[in-house]
Amino acid sequence: MKTYSDLEFLKLSKGEKFKYKFLSFFAGIPKALLNLLLALWNLIKGAGVTIGKEIADICSTFIHGDWKTKLSFIFMGFGCLARGQILRGILFLLFEVVFIGYMVLAGGYWLGMLPSLGVQGPTKEYNEILDVEVTTFHDNSFKILLYGVLTLFFIVAFIYTWRQNVKQNQLAEKILASGKKLRSGKDDLRSLVDDQFHKTLLALPLTGILLFTVMPIVFMILVAFTNYDGTHNGYTNNLFTWVGMDNFNTMLSWTAGKGGNTQSYSATFGEVLVWTLIWAFFATFTNYFLGMFVAMAINKKGIKLKKVWRTILVLTIAIPQFISLLYVSKMFAKNGIVNGFLMSMGWIQEALPFWEDPTWARVTVVLINIWIGIPYLMLIATGILMNIPADLYESARIDGANPWQQYTKITLPYMLFVTGPYLLTSFTGNMNNFNVIYLLTGGAPTNPAASSAAGSVGYTDLLITWLFKITTGAESQYYLASVVGILVFVVVALISLVVYNVLPSIKNEEDFQ
Amino acid sequence: MSQQNAIAPTGPVKKHMGLKASRALGNTAIYLLLIVVSAIWLIPFICILLQSFRVESTWQVGYVIPQQWGLDNYKGLFETDFPRWYMNTFIAALCTAVLQTIIVLCMSYTLSRFRFKMRNGLMRFMLILGMFPGMLTMIILYRVLKDLGMTQANALPGLILVYVASSGMGYYVSKGFFDTIPKSLDEAARVDGATRFQILKKIILPLSKPIVIYTVLTAFMGPWGDFVFARYIAFGSSAGSNVAVGLYNWLSKDQINTRYTMFCAGGVLVAVPVTILFMCLQKYYVEGVTGGAVKG
Amino acid sequence: MASVKLTDVKKVYDNKVTAVHDFNLDIKDKEFVVFVGPSGCGKSTTMRMIAGLEDISGGTVEIDGVVVNDLQPKDRDIAMVFQNYALYPHMTVYDNIAFSLRLKKMPEDQVYEKVTSAAEVLGITDFLTRKPRALSGGQRQRVAIGRAMVRDAKVFLMDEPLSNLDAKLRNQMRAEIILLRQKLNTTFIYVTHDQTEAMTLGDRIVIMHDGYIEQVGTPMEVFEMPHNVFVAEFIGAPKMNLMQTELKKEGDKYFVTPFGAKIEVTGDKAEGLQKKGIGSRKILLGVRPEHIVLADGPSADAIPCKLEVNEMMGSELHLHVYTEDETRLIVRVPTINLGMEQRKEMKYGKQLYITFEGKVMHFFDPETTKNLIYD
Repeated sequence: MKTYSDLEFLKLSKGEKFKYKFLSFFAGIPKALLNLLLALWNLIKGAGVTIGKEIADICSTFIHGDWKTKLSFIFMGFGCLARGQILRGILFLLFEVVFIGYMVLAGGYWLGMLPSLGVQGPTKEYNEILDVEVTTFHDNSFKILLYGVLTLFFIVAFIYTWRQNVKQNQLAEKILASGKKLRSGKDDLRSLVDDQFHKTLLALPLTGILLFTVMPIVFMILVAFTNYDGTHNGYTNNLFTWVGMDNFNTMLSWTAGKGGNTQSYSATFGEVLVWTLIWAFFATFTNYFLGMFVAMAINKKGIKLKKVWRTILVLTIAIPQFISLLYVSKMFAKNGIVNGFLMSMGWIQEALPFWEDPTWARVTVVLINIWIGIPYLMLIATGILMNIPADLYESARIDGANPWQQYTKITLPYMLFVTGPYLLTSFTGNMNNFNVIYLLTGGAPTNPAASSAAGSVGYTDLLITWLFKITTGAESQYYLASVVGILVFVVVALISLVVYNVLPSIKNEEDFQ
Repeated sequence: MSQQNAIAPTGPVKKHMGLKASRALGNTAIYLLLIVVSAIWLIPFICILLQSFRVESTWQVGYVIPQQWGLDNYKGLFETDFPRWYMNTFIAALCTAVLQTIIVLCMSYTLSRFRFKMRNGLMRFMLILGMFPGMLTMIILYRVLKDLGMTQANALPGLILVYVASSGMGYYVSKGFFDTIPKSLDEAARVDGATRFQILKKIILPLSKPIVIYTVLTAFMGPWGDFVFARYIAFGSSAGSNVAVGLYNWLSKDQINTRYTMFCAGGVLVAVPVTILFMCLQKYYVEGVTGGAVKG
Repeated sequence: MASVKLTDVKKVYDNKVTAVHDFNLDIKDKEFVVFVGPSGCGKSTTMRMIAGLEDISGGTVEIDGVVVNDLQPKDRDIAMVFQNYALYPHMTVYDNIAFSLRLKKMPEDQVYEKVTSAAEVLGITDFLTRKPRALSGGQRQRVAIGRAMVRDAKVFLMDEPLSNLDAKLRNQMRAEIILLRQKLNTTFIYVTHDQTEAMTLGDRIVIMHDGYIEQVGTPMEVFEMPHNVFVAEFIGAPKMNLMQTELKKEGDKYFVTPFGAKIEVTGDKAEGLQKKGIGSRKILLGVRPEHIVLADGPSADAIPCKLEVNEMMGSELHLHVYTEDETRLIVRVPTINLGMEQRKEMKYGKQLYITFEGKVMHFFDPETTKNLIYD
């Protein structure tokens, strides 16, 4: 593609400029992806180099260190203890004891079972005394996978701590050699509320995130490579085991489903994905523009009772969504208030199929989402509109801009610039907008063509509600839910990456400041 | 076009009046619009309120204004598990509000004020983590919590844990707020002899009232209206449900005909306290929302 | 009361940008040192390293003979006034000033004693119960100084303390800082980008540029003996005129030949050239605007030029002129030196002749920009 210099670009006509920008946007995508790959490669390379350096450093510490340091390689914290840093020494030593104890008592077992996820499922035996069949449970695949992962985490943590232990010795030797004093345990404790305060503050939040987000995500990614589902729950019925890429093949295969006359998984996935994207697009931008419109109407000079209008809208934010959404969903039902009203007015003869017809349902959820979303956007837009310097408008009026031109040339660019990142998060947020879809339609109406796919898929189902249905349906195909989850992540990440690279608010941070 | 009009010899006086008239017309149109919009936004809530007082029938009907008024639906609520759900929700929301606020403030203050080695990596990592659908984690959390005895009827502690544990990832808005407090205040305090902890306690927190209130409010409202997580953790147990799950089940096909008006009454009871709270603290909420959006 | 010694102090940021290169300076006890330079020259960074607000990437900072590199700001016994004052907005003036004392767990009656006496010195007693928001810029400035005063610190740091004030107030506060300095009688380090402040306040001035020290000296030294073109241009306003020209040695005498004129070098300058044994060569000739005078008409030692802009400053005129090869020069002429008629004639395009004496010249190497005599 031909690239223009700034001056050449300025000479282009409006249409050509647009075309150029449009093309260069798409031409930029492969480059962005390439950059990503490069960055990844550099990351891996950097990690390799770092590890190499660390190992070299460890070796040189061992060779040049004194006997206290050398003993610390086996007995963690020994150097600290020998040099009078009792608190640190005890903590190191304690950690080592706990680690070894854990590995011997339990960790070894979990780790050993990890490759197979268990060998012996539950067995049934006839018990003659009680005259019943007794089930004995043996291995638990779920626990093996969970504790296996945790043990791996623990080993990484141990290696890191051990490395810190070695580094401590090296540092201590250096400090002592320069004639200074080491930090005492008291100093260490005091620094936890001062220069190391961030560690204190982050300890709790990060532990929570590690245990309740990182660990489950790692686990679920792994589940995508197993056959964990309702009939293979790993303990009470059947064990589950590794199946490699099978689940991805199922999800992305083009062969038709079991029923014969139904479509393949990939077609279903594609349909749901396309609807998810369409939904996210409309949900984001209808709200955005209408919210901005309402905000501008309320903020217009000469409009009275501004506070009242605003409060009425804000009121709807306060009321929990499940109430308003469930209620509104029933309002639009066949025998709901809306149809009742329309029929009693004689405008329609038959109830309108708000939730029964695929197209009606899709349009209705978008419309109701406007109802839900406008108040937020109104608030956001109000805040930003008030921040636009008034002299921009004054100067535009002197330059001869009419209200519409003022809107398109000043208000809109400013808004888009400032809210660029918000629009992105809002878009991805809408892709995963479980509440609105699930509480309004539950995914209905059902898509008969997709009946072979797990968790009956409906026309208004997003990937996220589909995922939910898969996990709660009779078969609970957790492995498929994981695959869908991973694919959702991939889509969201790709969109974020591309948009992030072209967003002006990221690129030219200072433009509007 | 307007420029041409301005040049056209219509006379300045007439033009001026035209401006005024068109503005009045425009404002009238906007008033009309705002009235319609307000009506659309309020009607569902008015309907809920009216239907909660209906006694002549308990199922869905095509009209709004009850033929017979009464408090039967509200009384009926106390013969169901509704009080239990209400308590569950209230306790969960209260505990979450306190704990989540502490965690979010720790996280955002640290990321705003400290420059440590892993800071950027940590923020990027959390950004990526946020791209995974959170629901996915529930599959495993449910089973783990079940093993720990914190699901179904005993869902409350498990639920609080789930709400609170990962709340550090929601640091963005309050970090944006902390970023607006000048760093030189910290530096002045450090020169004056304050430790980091004292800076947080004596300088930053007193200046952060708006964002603390915003965080408490949103942390409270989350569990108050949560459906998904509660549904997972309380799976199938009425005693462990919160209001959202309980009321959702009342609208299922086999219950809706006997429970519909009670759903409305329950909805009113759930909505009223949080709406009052929200209205009182509206100012802080608006500040938080707009600040958060601008900073992205 | 302490000396401050910086040895090879360096600041390298994470992105490998070096903000300060090997900074060496010995600040004596009770000395008032000013760091001055254009924005981004590293002056504030250097001060913040002394304060402990910025990590030191290399070298050592000593206060009173003790290396303080690894000490927290609070343990360095320093006081600091910030550019934007950094007053705690939620505390009253009294609490602001008392903050550091209370952190030291000083008894309240002593705190009262110290705060009120500092407030009296600064004339802010009437505002003690107000919040900073309710104060004017000048009053806030005083509170900030008061907060630093009560600490009785060894070293008093001020980071552009006057730059947020309007011009009039700035002059007033400048005088007050001189008074304050006499009262406190401690070591001062003062950062500013304003050369006037630097000249009026400092015992010694450190002129910085791009992370390097360009020159250290008393105000007189840096003004009269600038080591290089940067210092020469930075100190003095309007800035020094520079002309590409030649130095000619004829026997014992030196001449410069700017734009066809021929002017003899006299006084110290001639001696200096002699001493350094400099012969005929290309030079960059520097002459301050106030040292140029208008000649009556064409002559051998006058440069012909045309007037471009005439700025009437009140007591003097700043004449912007250009020579035949379009070199721009500025001439400062006291208003009283010109008659009424002459003043009126100073219009665009007027032909002028300018000249200067031999003892006011500065000679720089066009390549290295260093002063030929003093460096």
